[in-house]
Amino acid sequence: MSADQRFIGVINSSPFRISMLYSTAFACGAAILLGAVYFAVTQVVDGGTDNLIEAEVQGLREQVLVLSRSDFIELIEQRSQEQDVRGAVYLMVDPQLRPVAGNVPAWPKIAANEGKWIQFKVSVPYGDETREHEMRAQRFPLPGGYRMLVGHDVQERQNVKNLMMRGLVAAVVATLMLGLGGGYWMGRRILAQAGAISAVATQIMRGDLSQRLPVRDADDEINTLALEINSMLDKIEQLTLGMRTVLDSAAHDLRTPLNRLQSSAEAAMSQLAPSAPERRVLERVTTEVDRMRGTLDALLRIALAETGTVARESVDLSELVASMVELYEPVSEERGIVLESAVAAGAHVQGSRQLLAQALANLLDNAIKFTPGGGHIRVQLQSAAGGPEVVVEDDGPGIPADKREIVLGRRVRLDEARKFPGSGLGLSLVAAVTKLHGARLVLDDAAPGLRVSLKF
Amino acid sequence: MRILIVEDDEVARDYLAKALREVGHTVDVATNGLDGLQMASSVAVDLAIVDRMLPQLDGLALVQSLRATGRKMPVLILSALGEVDDRITGLRAGGDDYLTKPYHMSELLARIDALARRGESGIHDSTKLKLADLELDRMTRRVTRNGKKIELTAREFQLLEFMMRHSGQVVTRTMLLEGVWDYHFDPQTNVIDVHISRLRQAIDKDFDKPLLHTVRGAGYSLREDE
Repeated sequence: MSADQRFIGVINSSPFRISMLYSTAFACGAAILLGAVYFAVTQVVDGGTDNLIEAEVQGLREQVLVLSRSDFIELIEQRSQEQDVRGAVYLMVDPQLRPVAGNVPAWPKIAANEGKWIQFKVSVPYGDETREHEMRAQRFPLPGGYRMLVGHDVQERQNVKNLMMRGLVAAVVATLMLGLGGGYWMGRRILAQAGAISAVATQIMRGDLSQRLPVRDADDEINTLALEINSMLDKIEQLTLGMRTVLDSAAHDLRTPLNRLQSSAEAAMSQLAPSAPERRVLERVTTEVDRMRGTLDALLRIALAETGTVARESVDLSELVASMVELYEPVSEERGIVLESAVAAGAHVQGSRQLLAQALANLLDNAIKFTPGGGHIRVQLQSAAGGPEVVVEDDGPGIPADKREIVLGRRVRLDEARKFPGSGLGLSLVAAVTKLHGARLVLDDAAPGLRVSLKF
Repeated sequence: MRILIVEDDEVARDYLAKALREVGHTVDVATNGLDGLQMASSVAVDLAIVDRMLPQLDGLALVQSLRATGRKMPVLILSALGEVDDRITGLRAGGDDYLTKPYHMSELLARIDALARRGESGIHDSTKLKLADLELDRMTRRVTRNGKKIELTAREFQLLEFMMRHSGQVVTRTMLLEGVWDYHFDPQTNVIDVHISRLRQAIDKDFDKPLLHTVRGAGYSLREDE
């Protein structure tokens, strides 16, 4: 798996998605909470300063009426010095806007009406350097064309607000990042564990029942699950191996007497003259032994395929189908049947080559058996995205739609087929082998004839 | 040839020993795995026929021990098991051939013959195979009879090559299916017979002396008839 694929895998994992959802919700919550705090704090701070300025404006408006100009200037100078420059600011200008008194160097050039709030920047000395400070002020006219500015340094307030805003944004971003990171980490962790489980599961499905899920030294639910699955696998392995042992002893107990029968018949035959009448009886015995052996082989192969313990390898399906067609081509030609094939190259499946070959041979045996002379058999191997598909079609009598399911069961021979030789196990073996390979077997009408499809 | 039979089933063992003696072999018998191993290790046996399920020492373990001690004689394993992948385990354990019970004596004799000849030098690595006036060149993939070129398909060539390697011996249908196609089952239809008759058409039709013979009840044989 490439890094990109792994990344996309984690992004698509459910832990990542869930944590994304949660962290987004948490970030929204944090934004609302901090936003409310921000709003309240600015209200209080802004309101406090504004009230202060308004009161000072009011006071000075009253003072200007009772004081002479020089006294008023004196008052302004005095207040300007009393206040630190970062606190209240004052500026009195003459009609030409030249400063007369106050601690602001110049009249701000802002085209706002008198009585409106204005904000402007003033350079404030900080030791050797100066800094721009935000000021908030109101302006009002004085008698004789003079004008007055009363304000307050709001840089601190601005700093607090900026800090709060930055804090708010940082908190929301941090919540999202933590959620994202945590989700990614969790997704990767779960994916790694799930990956290990599915890798083992694949091997088990390939027939290696000795495989077990990896168990870590931890007490979490995935570990518990793995332990439980492992004990389940122990049980399955025991049962399957038990079944194989039963099959092997059954095979042994049937093959040994059959072999004795064969040996005895052959031994007896070797004593007889070629023309002796007893020979015919003994020949019939060996023919029956052969037939029983055929049935036994088929039954054992079906049972073995059904235990799923058959060793698997990579099988070149294209080569297999082509060589089976080539194997059966002369015999079909001899019977006047045209065997056509279209085999796509490069199709591979995991499985047992011998069992797949046997299944294909059974399908071809059947097709040849039931197709009349002059008929056609078509064998196709199609390579599709989902997996290869093998199709064997003939234009023989076919199987009626209502009986197609039944023939896949053991030892079913339709009445119409009784005149043909065979054990009736052919299609059951095909069904067992298809199932072992995780493929799907479909019987269909080839109109006329039978269409058998093995979709891997 | 001196052949050791390790088989616990009395009926099968006696008939096997008798049949092998009749075709001129010297036969030793053992009835369990341990005796079998002892005899195979001490006596100069040319070939061993070992049953897979034996008392005291399992047939596969016997073959493995033989191979581990450096004994290289051909071994034919007889099995009464379920087959399919049992064959692979048998061959992996060191067996040279594998036959499932019940078997025909003709099949077993043909296989023993093939196994015995396998050790003979020159059969495997010569590029040119020759029988009477029939010649096959594995390098150029050219087949001639009496100097005349014979056209064969790829499979017919393989079939002829197999028959020529075993010329003079009986080759059974299952041996052909295994050796040429690598399939281990008995087809219900006579697929092999038709392939053989095509080959016969190609190599024997235009010539007086047929080389490819049918051996009744056993299989085929490629040989020069006197």
